[in-house]
Amino acid sequence: MKQRLGAFLYRHKGIEGLLYVFPFVALWTVFLAAPVGYGFYISLFNWNPMKGSKFVGLANYIDLFKEPRFWNAVANTFKFAAMVIPLIMGLGLLFALMVWAWGRTRKGMAFIQVALLLPYMLTVSIVAIIWRWLLDRDFGLVQRSLTTAFAEAPTLLSDPGWALPAIAFATAWWLVGYRMVVLQAGLENIPVELLETAALDGARPHQQFIHIILPLLKPALLFSLVLTIISAFKTFGQVLMMTEGGPGRATEVLAMYMYLTGFDYFNIGKAAAAGIILLLMILGMTLVGIRLLGLKSELQ
Amino acid sequence: MRHVRRYLPYVVMYGIAFLWVIPVLWMADTAFKPQSEIFSIPPTWVPSHFSLEHVSRLFTEWPFFRWLLNSLIMATSVTICSLVVSTLAAYSFARMKWRGRDTLFVVLLVFMLLPWQVNIVPLYFMMSKFHFLNTFQGVALPIIAMPIGIFLLRQFFISIPKDIEDAAKIDGCTSFGILLRVIIPVSKPVFAAFAIFIFNFTWNDFFWSMICLKKTSVVTLPVGLRLLQSAYELDYGLVLAGALMASLPSMIIFLLLRRHIVRGFSLASSGTKG
Repeated sequence: MKQRLGAFLYRHKGIEGLLYVFPFVALWTVFLAAPVGYGFYISLFNWNPMKGSKFVGLANYIDLFKEPRFWNAVANTFKFAAMVIPLIMGLGLLFALMVWAWGRTRKGMAFIQVALLLPYMLTVSIVAIIWRWLLDRDFGLVQRSLTTAFAEAPTLLSDPGWALPAIAFATAWWLVGYRMVVLQAGLENIPVELLETAALDGARPHQQFIHIILPLLKPALLFSLVLTIISAFKTFGQVLMMTEGGPGRATEVLAMYMYLTGFDYFNIGKAAAAGIILLLMILGMTLVGIRLLGLKSELQ
Repeated sequence: MRHVRRYLPYVVMYGIAFLWVIPVLWMADTAFKPQSEIFSIPPTWVPSHFSLEHVSRLFTEWPFFRWLLNSLIMATSVTICSLVVSTLAAYSFARMKWRGRDTLFVVLLVFMLLPWQVNIVPLYFMMSKFHFLNTFQGVALPIIAMPIGIFLLRQFFISIPKDIEDAAKIDGCTSFGILLRVIIPVSKPVFAAFAIFIFNFTWNDFFWSMICLKKTSVVTLPVGLRLLQSAYELDYGLVLAGALMASLPSMIIFLLLRRHIVRGFSLASSGTKG
């Protein structure tokens, strides 16, 4: 029997290949690909599972585009991304270079790595709880230090101008260690001889950085950038647990808006439409990011 | 001057590293402080005595162990299922020829750029139709088939030399036998990397878990902490004790397996380059 099955599979090689991918592709189709289509389908309805749904065409999208609160959420999402992406990428690259350049010949680097990567091991709710407490208006350690140092210091989480930057900073604290590790691994793949030769030829450190290190770091940079763009645009947990979108709607990002619209106000068709828009935004921004940095050739 | 050059890097690096752990230390400090000292002005680092009041309230008033267990079961089962289905599929993508293979691979690649969390609205209604809300499979099923796993494993499988397989084939070994006896044994590092990645991902999932799990007894740790926070918004002692207890398993595992985890992270990233 076993032999016959073997012979059958040998004759129908194509079928064999399909058998192997089937479990994955089935799960992927049902739970990852189909929901995108289903989400679009829902977004065309005045969705109401209890009383029956009514087809409304693109009315949900038109509603969204007419709503100032939606545009506020879009603006907040872009503002947040504009703060958190450079912060994470910049600090991640800086830390990686620091540990790589100074750490190779030194001992005692384990503590540095543990300290910088530790926050990444925490889940988003823990990060949000910690930072909400650090930034508590009356008793927060960081907030009190700020108020002591600068008499004019705003209470970060209750100031409409500062709440979003504060969340961006907490997010950077959380995620930067992973980028550091990825970039550090990229740096360690650069042959030392290359840098030594360049130094002998009189290349200064900043020239080495621009002409040797950065080009060779492209794959690691691409990976970190894509991850960072995606996590910036889908930010939700930090906002929900640090400010719930407040003060006012100053930190209401798109994912938060979608959650409130769908699961708080039960405007499900509209929430699904917001989800589709968020999806397209993330895809678009990732592609733009890849192109802007000239990383396209890395995507083979 | 020489001393400065020698020690300045240390001072800078340790300074930054120390700043980075202060929030975690402050969390532990608050969790073990007596209630009255949490709200002292100015804040104090050294409590008058070591207090377990918050931690004991956490365990007596909340099903904290249950949450921990739920998280463990969830992350472990997703990791195992994901390893199995991704390995089978990646093997096919790397070694077998069938019509539409390359097209499907590109489609999967594009989907890698879409975080499925933005699908929560349709997923919620799908799972409610399947009666999977408030169940583990409801949370787990959308996580298992992650395209990044296929990508990572396929990349590694392609790099394995084909000679041994050809020899095995001549000796009459089936394709499944080759996978089991040739491919899997040499792929342990990449399996470890992917397992760490997916375990960490599942353990930390928040948005979808929060939507799918509503009953206090079925939630995972991240969602449990949210319940804790929304029930006692200003009871920082209890909330931070919860955060500390929830972070202990990850922190201990991280300290024990740091080298493996770091290697896993960097391997997971290098696997995605061309």
